[in-house]
Amino acid sequence: MSTFQNGMAAARAMDDDSDVEEEALVADYKEQVQYEEGMDELEHVPSLSMAQQADDIQSKLAQAAQPLDFQAPLDVKFQSYDAYCSLFHYILNSDGPVDLEPPSYYWAWDVIDEFIYQFNSFSSYRARIARQGNNEKNEEEVQMLRENPNTWGCYSVLNVLYSLIQRSQITEQLAAMKRNEDPMSKAGEYGSKSLYRMLGYFSIIGLLRVHCLLGDFSLALKTLDDIELNKKAMFARVMAAHFTTYYYVGFSYMMMRRYGDAIRMFSHILVYVSRTKNFQKNAQYDSITKKNEHMYALIAICIAFHPTRLDDTIHTALREKYGDQLLKLQRGGPDSLPIFEELFRSACPKFIAAVPPDFDNPEANVDPIEHHLAIFMDEVKTNMWSPTVKSYLRLYTTMDLKKLAGFLDVKPEELRSWLLVNKQRTKQLRWTDQGLLEGELVNVSDLDYAMQGDLIHISEAKVGRKLVDWYLRNLSRTYA
Amino acid sequence: MNGEDPQERPREIFAIINGLERYNPEAAGVLEEYLAQQCQKKFCDCNANRALLKLYQLNPNKIKDEVITNILVKAMTQFPSPQFDLAIHLLLPSLSSPSASSSSELAEAVSKLRALNALLEGAQYGRFWATLDNDTDDIYADLTTDIAGFEDIIRVRIAQLISEAFREVHVSVLEAWLGLDDEEEVKKFVGEFGWKVADAGLVQIPKNAENEAKKSEVREDVNVDMFSRVIKRSWEEAA
Repeated sequence: MSTFQNGMAAARAMDDDSDVEEEALVADYKEQVQYEEGMDELEHVPSLSMAQQADDIQSKLAQAAQPLDFQAPLDVKFQSYDAYCSLFHYILNSDGPVDLEPPSYYWAWDVIDEFIYQFNSFSSYRARIARQGNNEKNEEEVQMLRENPNTWGCYSVLNVLYSLIQRSQITEQLAAMKRNEDPMSKAGEYGSKSLYRMLGYFSIIGLLRVHCLLGDFSLALKTLDDIELNKKAMFARVMAAHFTTYYYVGFSYMMMRRYGDAIRMFSHILVYVSRTKNFQKNAQYDSITKKNEHMYALIAICIAFHPTRLDDTIHTALREKYGDQLLKLQRGGPDSLPIFEELFRSACPKFIAAVPPDFDNPEANVDPIEHHLAIFMDEVKTNMWSPTVKSYLRLYTTMDLKKLAGFLDVKPEELRSWLLVNKQRTKQLRWTDQGLLEGELVNVSDLDYAMQGDLIHISEAKVGRKLVDWYLRNLSRTYA
Repeated sequence: MNGEDPQERPREIFAIINGLERYNPEAAGVLEEYLAQQCQKKFCDCNANRALLKLYQLNPNKIKDEVITNILVKAMTQFPSPQFDLAIHLLLPSLSSPSASSSSELAEAVSKLRALNALLEGAQYGRFWATLDNDTDDIYADLTTDIAGFEDIIRVRIAQLISEAFREVHVSVLEAWLGLDDEEEVKKFVGEFGWKVADAGLVQIPKNAENEAKKSEVREDVNVDMFSRVIKRSWEEAA
């Protein structure tokens, strides 16, 4: 079985030039999974004696990384918050760095992930209760939520994440790594311990997520300034972290109208998942499958805004999953609007409000998803005629504006605006090699035009045949 | 992105928005003052303004309605760009939803500004000016009163966008798009940009990189590195 997979991997290895690293990573990941499986077997034996150990803190650590039951009652959610607070307080404010051995390699990620997940679902739950209004059924819960406005509060969550980042001096360490220096020289007393370093590192990714959930997409991307998104990044060693990072970065790019960059992010991680899925552990893979679907939906949205060539694997999967929707999106016009809404709703993060809801005015508590969707749809509506305009312009080298308006059955003034909108949107920021927010302004369309009075001059960039890829692929196929 | 990180930004503002100080409710005052400066001196720092909106998001008791609307109007002047949307994303959800918004004055102002921004983003410049002119309740006049030279900023921006798409444009189109009253005003305005008014009511715009629509061909760059692995492999297999 494993030789078969290796064969597959080798055959696919010719797809792009970054593959060497990617393959190394895939192999690396596989090794980890096998290692983990081995660990599982070992764990069954000593688990009893573990429980008997008086070491209270170890069980707290393990507990913190445990998913909380989705339907846990409110007081359990409150207790869980207190447990996190005391754990983080212990880690951050003890006399010097605490000497702890994390229960597993993934522990730091799991803790931060679960912490934010609980914050997210608590906020959503609280908002839902508030929207239902006061009734006998939830009276008690409303009372409890009113009295504890700071439980799972934004400031305390942000405080934890920023404190972990500062304590571990992870920013300084990452900056040193970027300069090819030894990160340990900057790590300090805390940051030189792997517990702190890992918590600090994953807190950065946690921040990316929290900012995005609050609708601050540029700050979300800014947070990752110190992390280089490449195969060597520390997060790449933890599949869930790798996946989460790319989802939120891609989503933030999309909200900043950088569709090309968003597509690049989603494609990267989806290709990676499709390559590793044969040796994913089932439970882990299930949770990834759902997010996978979300990212395909987001790619469909981005591709409608910014038609571009996709990786073959992604293209095929996208057509399978969202073929009909994609066609409607690409056609544009008013018919495409409900599809944009549907896909956005299904694939966006579970946005939350930054402050507790107003329990006295249930109808004042608008679901944040509706808020962000409405703003996103403004831009969709602005662009909805671009596909039509483009499809006509492709047919001509010069065209009279009034004549084209006649074809489209709109007023010339209207068409003039559509032409401007479409032309203005062809310039997009594209990431080069600096911070995620940086980039250069490039023309992303193969279609360009200029107007001379009512005469439209159109030019289409000719794309020469790309042969290298084809040649390499066939070479490897022949000689494999 | 337009208006993201202007040169005019003082060092103290830089320190606030790039450090943890951005979460300190006390920083709101400094950022508000900085916004007032932007309004007077006709520059725009949307990045810093978002830090202020973030503080409002986390501390709703600090919210000042006119500050929010000034931030939105400033962001609007950067069209076409995501700046306005990025600012709106940080507002309370109830401010963007038509169902719950009827109550507050701020919600109404936000929805008015959103409509105005949609016209600019959609290149409906004629309608934009008509909407401003039809301002029977003086709502728009109130909302833009703090922003020095609001109409001029918009007009210059529109002219720049026109120059990036047109080689020649009818005076009548310019008149509507620039929100000017007659041909004379248009001629005077475009004269400042060095645009020439030719016969038959056409205004000629000098050539630039954007209004040429040059033909181009995308070719593939091939270099030895791309083949390095194939060569390496054949070498290894032979050996």
